[in-house]
Amino acid sequence: MSDRLEHPTLYEASDAGPPVLLGHRCGQCGLAGFPRQSLGCEDCGAGGDILKPITLVARGKLVSFAVVHRHVGKDIAAPFIMGEITLDDGPLIRCTLSAETPGALMIGQSVLGVLEHNPAADASVRELRFKPEQAL
Amino acid sequence: MSKRLSDFRPVFVVGVGLHRYQKYSPTPYVALGVTAIREALLDAGVAWPEVESAFVATALLGMAPGRPMLRHLGATGLAITHVENASASGSTAFRLAAMEIASGQSDLNIAVGVDKPAMIELGSRQAGLDFLERERVAAFTHFALLAQKYAHEHGATPEDFARVAVKNLANGARNPYAQRREPKSLQEVLGAPPLAGFLTPLQSCPIGEGAAATILASEDGIRKLGIDSRRAVRVLSSTLRSERVYEDNSGFDAALTEETVRQTLAEAGVSPSALDIVELHDAFTVEELLYVERMGLCDPGDAPRRLKAGHFDIGGEVAVSPSGGLIAMGHPLGPTGLGQIAEITRQLRGEAESRQHPNAKTGLAHMVGVGAVCAAHILRREA
Repeated sequence: MSDRLEHPTLYEASDAGPPVLLGHRCGQCGLAGFPRQSLGCEDCGAGGDILKPITLVARGKLVSFAVVHRHVGKDIAAPFIMGEITLDDGPLIRCTLSAETPGALMIGQSVLGVLEHNPAADASVRELRFKPEQAL
Repeated sequence: MSKRLSDFRPVFVVGVGLHRYQKYSPTPYVALGVTAIREALLDAGVAWPEVESAFVATALLGMAPGRPMLRHLGATGLAITHVENASASGSTAFRLAAMEIASGQSDLNIAVGVDKPAMIELGSRQAGLDFLERERVAAFTHFALLAQKYAHEHGATPEDFARVAVKNLANGARNPYAQRREPKSLQEVLGAPPLAGFLTPLQSCPIGEGAAATILASEDGIRKLGIDSRRAVRVLSSTLRSERVYEDNSGFDAALTEETVRQTLAEAGVSPSALDIVELHDAFTVEELLYVERMGLCDPGDAPRRLKAGHFDIGGEVAVSPSGGLIAMGHPLGPTGLGQIAEITRQLRGEAESRQHPNAKTGLAHMVGVGAVCAAHILRREA
């Protein structure tokens, strides 16, 4: 667990279970948001301390996915799979799916976050990805 | 209570002009823009000094490109306003020009869009927030995610999406201003390696260069300048909205389209079934299927069947993107929304030549811009 995280301001490991994403909840309207910020709630506009830092468990339902065949960045080699996920804790996020994701993905299936190495990056760095829960 | 465009005096499109959309070339943007403006002036039958103000739409040219272009028409001292609203820049310039005429601040003005391809940083990337997906969701991946979801919900096949490109490329082949002017078969559209998910390169719009201009006038302006009122097309409504927090935020483009188009139809007093022409933001094929449904042109999930049956063809129930849309005509950003207005104006006048939709009376122009924003206008032939 001494590896560094690719985006330490966005997520962290959790001893209690899956990784957690660093978000906030609006004390005025209750909307949970990601990434964490205090500038203002996207739904009701409340800002500052009323937006409370929370952690969001990296678990949710797969809303959609797409195999990306063309990618100009050096951060990951194509093809890779991009997923759209509604977290059980609320927010809709987009995140790369695990390189070990099986071919038969299904919209609506449960997915869980894992911290894994990216072959295109430094071997000591891990990044958050998601994979089908039954594949774990 | 706030007022709508239709609460003020009538506004008409009296002239349209374009420089063909094309791949990046050494041609300066000034030459592109001046070409479109001179064509619009000729079309309206007015001289440049009669134009009281100009709204210049660009997304990629940088600060203040308007006067270096407009000076070549004669530096009359007219008001110049620059408009940037991503892909909806041209539509937004048109809205501001229409509002200015409607309010009585001018009797004749111009909205002109011009752009050349350039790499720029989106505002959202400078907003101070980090993103999990960073640069891994290109525009084609965003729409591939929507296509996969649509296929899951409605049983659509890769062919269903590709047929949008086949139709729009066939329309573009008949449009002298289109960037892509070669019709393609279903096999050709599907034959290339995909960018992401179902989406192949021909299901993605080309980002090139070009220009489009529309001249707007009041009834006073038409009378005073002796403009042919039989060729004037009325602007019935103008609506501009932005994204909210939706229950299903994964489909925000379509949700925003639905509420924007519903509002503009209500303002115009027009039902979806009365639309003869629809020019919509088909940057990617899946968008046409999503948007025609959310605009109320057909039931949810029925767009692939109707498309296959020819309902959205020129000569069908409603001609969707007879210009070729963004897929074929191209998407140079600043000009795109104004190019839609030009196409609808020509269709409503009966001047669209080989791509003329019969008896076209009412048209809808729709653009979505990154942000997201959405603009919609309804035009009608009065004469």
